[in-house]
Amino acid sequence: MVSRRAAIAAAVAVPAGVLLGAPALVGLLRKAPRRVTGGFVDDGSAVGHALRDGTRPAAPARRERVPIVILGGGVSGLGAAWALAREGLRDFVVLESAREAGGNARSGEMEGMRHPWGAHYLPVPDARNTLVRELCTDIGLLRDGVWDERALAFAPQERLFQHGTWHEGIEPSFALTRAERDELTRFDATMAEWRARDAFAVPSVECAARTAREWRALDRQTMGEWLTAQGYRTPALRWLVDYGVRDDYGASLETASAWAGVHYFAGRPAHDAGPLTWPEGNAWLIARLLERVGPRVRTNAPVWRVGREGARWTIDTADIRYEADAVIAAMPVHALARVLDGVSPAPVTLDRSPWLVANVLLDRWPEERGLPVAWDNVIYDSPSLGYVVATHQSLRTEQARSVWTWYHAPVERDAASARRWLRDLSWGEARDLVLNDLRRAHPDIDGCVARVDVLRYGHAMPRPTPGFLDATAALRAWQPGPRFALAHTDASGLSLFEEALERGVSAARQVREALRA
Amino acid sequence: MSGRPVVTPVTAALFITVLLIAACGLVYELVAGALASYLLGDSVTQFSTVIGTYLFAMGIGSWLSRYIGKGLIARFVIIELLVGVIGGFSSTILFLAFSYTDAFRPLLYGLVLVIGILVGLEIPLLMRILRDRFDFKDVVANVLTFDYVGALGASLLFPLVLVPRLGLVRSALVFGVVNVLVALWSTRLFRESLPRRGWFIGVGIAALAALGVGLAGASRITALAEEGLYADPVILARDTKYQRVVVTSWKDDLRLHLNGHLQFSSRDEYRYHETLVHPGLAPLADAARAAGRTLRVLVLGGGDGLAVREVLRYPAVQSVTLVDLDAEVTSLFRSHPRLSTLNAHAFDDARVRVINADAFVWLDGAADRFDYVIVDFPDPSNFSVGKLYTTAFYRALARRVAEHGFVTVQATSPLFARSAYWTIVETMREAGWQVWPFHVYVPSFGEWGYVLAGHAPWTPPSEAAMPAGLRFLSARAVPALFDFPVDMGRVAAQANHLNDQVLVRTYEQEWARINR
Ligand SMILES: Cc1cc2nc3c(=O)[nH]c(=O)nc-3n(C[C@H](O)[C@H](O)[C@H](O)COP(=O)(O)OP(=O)(O)OC[C@H]3O[C@@H](n4cnc5c(N)ncnc54)[C@H](O)[C@@H]3O)c2cc1C
Repeated sequence: MVSRRAAIAAAVAVPAGVLLGAPALVGLLRKAPRRVTGGFVDDGSAVGHALRDGTRPAAPARRERVPIVILGGGVSGLGAAWALAREGLRDFVVLESAREAGGNARSGEMEGMRHPWGAHYLPVPDARNTLVRELCTDIGLLRDGVWDERALAFAPQERLFQHGTWHEGIEPSFALTRAERDELTRFDATMAEWRARDAFAVPSVECAARTAREWRALDRQTMGEWLTAQGYRTPALRWLVDYGVRDDYGASLETASAWAGVHYFAGRPAHDAGPLTWPEGNAWLIARLLERVGPRVRTNAPVWRVGREGARWTIDTADIRYEADAVIAAMPVHALARVLDGVSPAPVTLDRSPWLVANVLLDRWPEERGLPVAWDNVIYDSPSLGYVVATHQSLRTEQARSVWTWYHAPVERDAASARRWLRDLSWGEARDLVLNDLRRAHPDIDGCVARVDVLRYGHAMPRPTPGFLDATAALRAWQPGPRFALAHTDASGLSLFEEALERGVSAARQVREALRA
Repeated sequence: MSGRPVVTPVTAALFITVLLIAACGLVYELVAGALASYLLGDSVTQFSTVIGTYLFAMGIGSWLSRYIGKGLIARFVIIELLVGVIGGFSSTILFLAFSYTDAFRPLLYGLVLVIGILVGLEIPLLMRILRDRFDFKDVVANVLTFDYVGALGASLLFPLVLVPRLGLVRSALVFGVVNVLVALWSTRLFRESLPRRGWFIGVGIAALAALGVGLAGASRITALAEEGLYADPVILARDTKYQRVVVTSWKDDLRLHLNGHLQFSSRDEYRYHETLVHPGLAPLADAARAAGRTLRVLVLGGGDGLAVREVLRYPAVQSVTLVDLDAEVTSLFRSHPRLSTLNAHAFDDARVRVINADAFVWLDGAADRFDYVIVDFPDPSNFSVGKLYTTAFYRALARRVAEHGFVTVQATSPLFARSAYWTIVETMREAGWQVWPFHVYVPSFGEWGYVLAGHAPWTPPSEAAMPAGLRFLSARAVPALFDFPVDMGRVAAQANHLNDQVLVRTYEQEWARINR
């Protein structure tokens, strides 16, 4: 007789052996994972951190007199420059700390394929948004009321991975109960009604909802609280709204102001032909702006002190002290706080959302289930925001390789601990985070990926938490000295291309008026 | 026997057997349902009828079990071996049957019936085997519990692991292996009460070997099944970087298939290509000859050289530029004796230049202008190819065409995909072209549609303008091509853009209706 233990062992081992061994027998087991290369990309935070830690370079030897100095070469700074240039002005400079202008709209390249590192699209501006339409006309995107077809996101534009397959669009519409479907319909109808009332708009600073008491009440609660109070319980709906506030603000239902959450849905037309996008994302727009103002932009020029000398502003970079009549601050307020010297500091601080972005090089495409690959690809119930296919805007019919830009706003921790988590993250951990997430929808992703580059943003953008309307109003009213204007999107609280452009253009107008007075 | 069950190693092993065979049984059922849905479409009908037949067959099996009196264990082992082999090869058989026979449905339900009966026999037999070792109420409870647990496992494993990782052919084979291993294991478990044990083991090992061969050749089986989809003997099959090229031949008929789609049949391709080339080119060549000018022609797609053959009939043509993605296709049609005979050695003509490039990107980067352009791309069946049928493409095309030039675009069937056809016409119109839609009958394709377009007026060619040697088209026949019978007549359509690709969606719906 076989012993009882041996028999039980056999009873477990044999079927287990069958299940594991049969595939192994015929070489079906997965091969050892392939080597993925990559690393962290410079996030440009070294200068800021050095300033924060008290390092001050010696005062620059050279002086240069420039009537208007713009601090920061992101969208808002270049937007201000564009506005000045359009008025025929040439006596200004843009000082940008990084090697290239662009800020959150910067881009990169992998084996000849361009890709975004941050902002990657611009929604088609509606008729109310005259400023952005003006820019689009200026740079040839909009001709006689017709959008350049090549800049509109190619079909299929968006897809959602849910229940094991890809569906078109990102609104979950699959396997819902009647009650859940009704809730989604009710939400859509409410947003449509509010949209029709025209209170919310992009850009938002001038919109009626910023000042009308009835809408401002939304800013006293989080989006999650508001949804609950309105009886919205459907997980699919809450997921969709959470996705929206993560995508635009790097916030969550628990942290985003309900005003900002509603703005995401009611601030723009429900459907348009777009968005407008390019392989390198909004860096394409940056390049067009630079075609117009490039000679006035000085890169590799971190500003480390801004103070006053008599009636003038003095702005110090490593080698030049600029003497200016007016300053346009197009850098984030927290960074500005470190360089302002002897003038009144900003009245408020804003929460800032950290972000993690990865660019993934694929040397072959994974198998697909359901709708074929889209421009924007979202995985339901994933902590990430999914990925954008940088090669989607290619006119090629056959593409052997691709780059995917994967976005993640770590909202499951508060901003400060998320920043610490980001700082301590190793590249290997980041790579696994990306690949594990992609594997939810693409089981064979490991065989496709050759490289993963990662960018960590500690303070990517302002986070519109409850109360941000008052906070940003205080920022806009802030006057640390004469002929000073804040252009950065911090002054709006909503980090969007349109807001940045509008803030920049309006700051330019503000200092022009002050200079004339 | 006493009331409290004693868990002996043998009984524990038996319950695991129940779990495994339940999983196997369910997998075969799911494989059949999924395969039928995949090949025949209409998954609701396929799954309902397969599951119904299968459950009914299990009922027959249970009923038949009463006629098995003695030799329970030997019978059980035989059944396991049979289920393993038949179930394991079920998807292979069905795949091949679909390609090579007309008997897919009878075979499908026949196999489901046989497997169902065998699986239906398993549990009653096992219960009776266990009856002597257990209390009856425990037998029923335990066997059914493990049966259902196994079913749950299989039903989760199937969509999550088996289909994505292994595919249908391998999944069935792997579970066939499991069944046979259960049989072999049973011969060990019951070695005291099993006569002729060696014989059973031998058969089991043979079955394992057969299934192993099946597994090793699974990808070949799928490929074989695919080749069976071609009616004629395959004389050449090649996977290029971009597509699967298959040439078949039956008597004097030569056919080219790309990714399973028929591109031409040598019996009637002249109808297709003469109609594609001459209505637009003949008037241009005539005018050029009268004025003593020469013509530059561009062919996009059409790597088979058959359109080029037609173009080269005109002495006024000074150069032909052919842009095709796939270098392997163009070189095949340059060097293969039968294929290059078909295009009259067009690629050896000094006037012809071949460029292997992605057409849209090439067009964007090109600086030349052409008097006549032939656009002969595959049908817009996916979003990639669909880009070549957008207003953006036709606008880029306009920049490469001389002021008095024309283009002709192959535009799928106005009969089978009527909206798709008129969508292409509308797309060209929106891109600023003046359009003249026309069509022809090609027996191996059916009714086929084209769009002739230009920025200057077009008049049909005179008899003198037509080149010599045509087998189908005459000047007299040209105007009739531009007349559309009622069932192919113009329908309202929206233009196709890069950002909506309405054409791909329309095309897909219309052809799905035809191919049902
Ligand atoms: C990951 C990510 C994705 C995004 N996606 C989108 C999108 O798809 N669409 C969209 O509309 N918006 C998107 N955004 C929002 C984006 O922030 C805005 O669209 C816009 O780019 C903000 O521009 P800005 O000029 O206000 O700020 P920033 O881009 O932050 O520009 C500030 C500039 O100041 C510079 N600077 C800082 N300190 C100094 C110093 N001491 N001296 C000199 N220069 C300094 C910085 O280097 C930077 O260039 C995204 C943001 C992130 C982080």
